[in-house]
Amino acid sequence: MALECFKQSQPLTMGVELELQLIDPADLDLSASAPDLLHLLARGRFPGQVKPEITESMIEVATDVQREYGDLLAQLRRIRDALTQAGERLNVSICGGGTHPFQRWFNQRVFASPRFKQLSDLYGYLAKQFTVFGQHVHIGCGSADEAMFLLHALNRYVPQFIALSASSPYSQGEDTLFDSARLNSVFAFPLSGRAPFLLTWEDFDRSYFTKMEKTGVVKSMKDFYWDIRPKPEFGTIELRVCDTPLTVERAAQLACYLQAVCRHLLAREEPPPCEDDYLVYSYNRFQACRFGLDGIVVHPRTHESRPLREDILDTIERVGQHAAVLGGEAALAEIRSIAAREGNDAGFLRRMRAEEGSVQGIVDAAVRRFRERERGST
Amino acid sequence: MPDIVTAVLAEIAWPFALMLAWVVGELGHRWLTLPRVSSYGIVGFLLAAGQAGVLPHTREGPMAMLADAAFGLILFELGYRVHLGWLRANRWIAVTSVVEAFGCFVAVFFVARAFSVDMVRALLLASLSMSTSPAAVLRVANELRSSGQVTERTLHLSAFNCMLAVIAFKIVVGYGLLLDDGGILHAVWSSLVVLAVSAGVGVLFGVSVPRLLRLLGGMDRNATLAFAVAVLALTALTHGLRFSPLLAALAFGIVARHRRIVLSQAQRNFGALGDLLTILLFVFVAATIEWRQAAAGIWLALAVIGVRLMVKTAATTLFARASGIGWRKGALTGLALTPLSVFAILLLEQSRHLGLGLLDELKAIMAMVLLLEVIGPVVTQRALIWAGEALRREDG
Repeated sequence: MALECFKQSQPLTMGVELELQLIDPADLDLSASAPDLLHLLARGRFPGQVKPEITESMIEVATDVQREYGDLLAQLRRIRDALTQAGERLNVSICGGGTHPFQRWFNQRVFASPRFKQLSDLYGYLAKQFTVFGQHVHIGCGSADEAMFLLHALNRYVPQFIALSASSPYSQGEDTLFDSARLNSVFAFPLSGRAPFLLTWEDFDRSYFTKMEKTGVVKSMKDFYWDIRPKPEFGTIELRVCDTPLTVERAAQLACYLQAVCRHLLAREEPPPCEDDYLVYSYNRFQACRFGLDGIVVHPRTHESRPLREDILDTIERVGQHAAVLGGEAALAEIRSIAAREGNDAGFLRRMRAEEGSVQGIVDAAVRRFRERERGST
Repeated sequence: MPDIVTAVLAEIAWPFALMLAWVVGELGHRWLTLPRVSSYGIVGFLLAAGQAGVLPHTREGPMAMLADAAFGLILFELGYRVHLGWLRANRWIAVTSVVEAFGCFVAVFFVARAFSVDMVRALLLASLSMSTSPAAVLRVANELRSSGQVTERTLHLSAFNCMLAVIAFKIVVGYGLLLDDGGILHAVWSSLVVLAVSAGVGVLFGVSVPRLLRLLGGMDRNATLAFAVAVLALTALTHGLRFSPLLAALAFGIVARHRRIVLSQAQRNFGALGDLLTILLFVFVAATIEWRQAAAGIWLALAVIGVRLMVKTAATTLFARASGIGWRKGALTGLALTPLSVFAILLLEQSRHLGLGLLDELKAIMAMVLLLEVIGPVVTQRALIWAGEALRREDG
């Protein structure tokens, strides 16, 4: 199958996908409830899309194409309410978070569908280890070349999104000391990491995709697990590094922050991306995963080291006017508060562990947080 | 046989019976995919005093006490899985529960009357038939590592119908004593007071044990052991005072769960301790059955089993769509509710001191227990597998 045509879309529109955890309220472990939940949801009108994920204790929801923070948030809240209500009817709790704190990977069941079966056969235990939960944000691109530009221009901002969204400090019952342990599961896949440095769609097709396809290693764009990948059938680029936050509010805010950063990059206010930007990429990404907002990142051009927190606050200043044009000021204000005061969800989960005294208490807190409306936001 | 040999044999009979049951359980599971608890029952029945005569006739004493404790652990665990909030969020679950339990009561009562069973015994049989054996469904669900709506509903309905069955049973016992001219005080004491005190003691444990755990801290590690010890104490207490250990343990589990301190999955079944006590429980219960008595009640038993299955399946199917699942899963939930044995027998055993001679005269119960001891868990196992909720082999 040749590389698909890149379908044009309205620039800077957004779409959000969230992978969510299905929880057994009895012991707060993951619960293989996706088939029952999907069955029930299929009977009514769902305010978005809902589909299975690789294991039966996961579910994925997606919004429509949205332009503004308010509409995006409103739809995410309708999705959350529909899910919570369906869950209550079936005695299944639902929550965010990049990992389940104490599930055992070998207890997970692969969802019965040909694609997931095939992935499970290919990747073996990696498939079950992949019971991790991410937020994917799509940003619409006016052309394929614009998509390739944006994909690479964003490289320096990837650690910011990792740190802001990080909500997976616990894995298999232990504190990993990472803020985002989820990404360590993603790195295990052979086609993860970053996209090759090619700035036009034609180059990407000719010098990379067609050659890769000939090797037989890949068949479609779906086989790449890159941090950011082009999605030709939607006409978008897809940022895949975020952990699913504990609330849909934060999910919407992250998407709008990305939207504002993209508008800033498309205004070409920064020097264009170059291959050498990626010299510090993996290091910075590690810092963000491991230390979250306290991570120390190296600027690819100036080689200056500074805390991610400062880098984010600085970026917020620079993209403020773009957020205003896009109607995302409220979202930006929330992002500023995460960086400046509140901290990310990983910090919240660690506080819950200390307060509740058990890993089960963490899940209980996450379930409650997913359900409640955040105070003060629209 | 010299006395000394008889005495020695009597002493070693139980441990060896348990060993044999364990071996048969493992082999039956491997070769015939039979639920382990079914095999334990078969071994217990065959070795019983009334059959091979290997196991001594011990309905009182330490074995009865241990069986109670084993069942207490299972009821506690079941109670701990029950989520009362679900009844509020989905009223159709509550409706299903009430209809299937009382539907069974009414249907079985009429069947028993049609077989010319007298009034009180027909009522007793009817109340016992309401229940689904929590031991069988919980053990089978855990053995299959099953998860999904059929599993969830079977466990919840089992907990609820057991509670309703104990209540109905005790009330009928009180009524029976009243007719027997035991006096109103004796009747009220044996029914209403026993119910209230048993539940009350269970609730008391449910409130105080989690509080104690919180004071001690380190709940991740201590919860299982602490709950096991508490269940043993609670069972001994209620058994000794002739209250209902069953109701107390179930109430303890439900209240403890709603006090929000949680068991982790690794601790299901109470580990190896729970496994050992489960063998003992199923062997003990099956050993109370005597073939000759069971054979006498076989026709009534078959009729009751049939009616019970029909009512339970009809109720769960009827309310399936309304409660958020498909017809098929609804029907499979009804099937999965088939097991009966352990609960009914222990309930009768614990009422023995009342002198109503219940167990010996309710021959149909003997026959039902015998049939369902083996078949019940198998039906539950099949229902969960057909529902696609058991852990599949390629996944395991």
